[in-house]
Amino acid sequence: MFKLNPKTDIDNESEYMIEVSNVSKRFKIPHEKRTTVYDNIIGKITGSSYSYEVFEALRDVSFKIKKGETFGIIGENGSGKSTLLKILAGVLVPDSGNVKVKGKVAPFLELGVGFQPELTAVENVYLYGAIMGMNRKEMDDNLDSIFKFAELERFRDAKLKNFSSGMYMRLAFATAISTDPDVLLIDEVLAVGDEAFQKKCHDKMDEYRQNGKTIVFVSHAAESVTKLCKMSILLHNGGIVSLGLTEKIIADYHYQMLEKGRDI
Amino acid sequence: MYLFEYSELIKNLVASDLKVKYQSSVLGFAWSMLNPLLMMLVLYAVFNNIFRFEQEHFALYLLIGIIAWRFLANGTMAAMSSIVGKPSLVTKIFIPREVLTFSMAMSAFISSILEFAVLIPLLLILGVSLSFTILLFPVIHILFFVMVYGLSLVLASLYVYYRDLNQIWDILLQVGFYLAPIIYPLSLVPEKYMFYYMLNPITRLMVMYRDILLYSTIPSALDFLIVVVCGLLFLIIGTMIFRKLSPGFAEEV
Repeated sequence: MFKLNPKTDIDNESEYMIEVSNVSKRFKIPHEKRTTVYDNIIGKITGSSYSYEVFEALRDVSFKIKKGETFGIIGENGSGKSTLLKILAGVLVPDSGNVKVKGKVAPFLELGVGFQPELTAVENVYLYGAIMGMNRKEMDDNLDSIFKFAELERFRDAKLKNFSSGMYMRLAFATAISTDPDVLLIDEVLAVGDEAFQKKCHDKMDEYRQNGKTIVFVSHAAESVTKLCKMSILLHNGGIVSLGLTEKIIADYHYQMLEKGRDI
Repeated sequence: MYLFEYSELIKNLVASDLKVKYQSSVLGFAWSMLNPLLMMLVLYAVFNNIFRFEQEHFALYLLIGIIAWRFLANGTMAAMSSIVGKPSLVTKIFIPREVLTFSMAMSAFISSILEFAVLIPLLLILGVSLSFTILLFPVIHILFFVMVYGLSLVLASLYVYYRDLNQIWDILLQVGFYLAPIIYPLSLVPEKYMFYYMLNPITRLMVMYRDILLYSTIPSALDFLIVVVCGLLFLIIGTMIFRKLSPGFAEEV
């Protein structure tokens, strides 16, 4: 595998919202997992050695994302896409390397984080809004537009446990997008819901892009990345294979998939 | 400080936890009050008729002890699951993880205040006159909270790695219940153990709650000293352990 200079054709004067330099992440996968005090005591007594596989999720990954850019992260399953996104979100801590993310970040790794089925829709909107970093006043102002966007005005005081999964997703999405972030981190959450909902999501993403928000989009679906992102990186086994304009990256991706198919 | 920065989120997490806790049953809050009341009645019946403890206002003495103990037991048990029990808040979004543990401890703190509030009319009905010493209640209860929160930080972070810790802690709580003067008078403790017995900060807290609510006396400076020192110690050790372990939480939850 060859490494690429993270420098792109972007001029260096512009402001970078995200800077990732030499990030590596390893996961230890134990052969026999010890998750209790009991396991640990028994392990000590029998003297069985504590062995594990090391899985390198990310190796020496570096790239920069400019303000207002939509940036795709492409790769097959297990290539490290989600790990990278989680590191950008601050959920995972890299073993080495540096990550700098500027501005207010809205991670869309999962929609409806923290939703409580026992509470009503309104209560959940307030809770989810607070989790996404909004204050009371912003929520008060946005409440009507959230329910309008989700098309759930009639169900404000219904308990969430009585919602269908479609209603649940609409409410979560409407709340999540009412935050006014500088950086959006999006996992393949948009691949849910019916076509009308998908369309709404894409329209919203376009709106964000036009408003100059920085978007990082992770997917293994080439089509949706092409639609949304100008620049992309292709990950394979935790390393960057190529970095550049999305069309070129997608071509590399397809070539890589073809190669893989030939091996089988 | 993260607690101020995230006060909005803490408010929401505490409020939703309380709502879920009290909404899920028809009687809601009444249940959480019935539990200590019924326990007090059973213990009172047993001890007053069989053992015949000589203790002034023994029923209220029991009830104060039980309610105070419930804060420690329920608070640490709930806060212990604050990380493991909410995986999506740990792995799908970044929130300082202490906020989650703090919110659960705070929710138990508010529940405990409500339980103490119900105690006040009972004091009056059973002929105890309240005095100005009750003004010390917030101070003592906040000191207790610091201790519970410190313990919760230790438990919540270790629970991520040792999933049988809830069983172990449950047993330790049962032992602790008998190591403090909750259901028996302090005078029952043998003289030779008294020194060690009084080092237990929970013992001190039990004495203090009864001093201000039942006997209209101001707790001794030594009581305050031991509780403050232990509370700060738990808080510092808890924060250190939690900060050390929390970067790995998302991988283990």
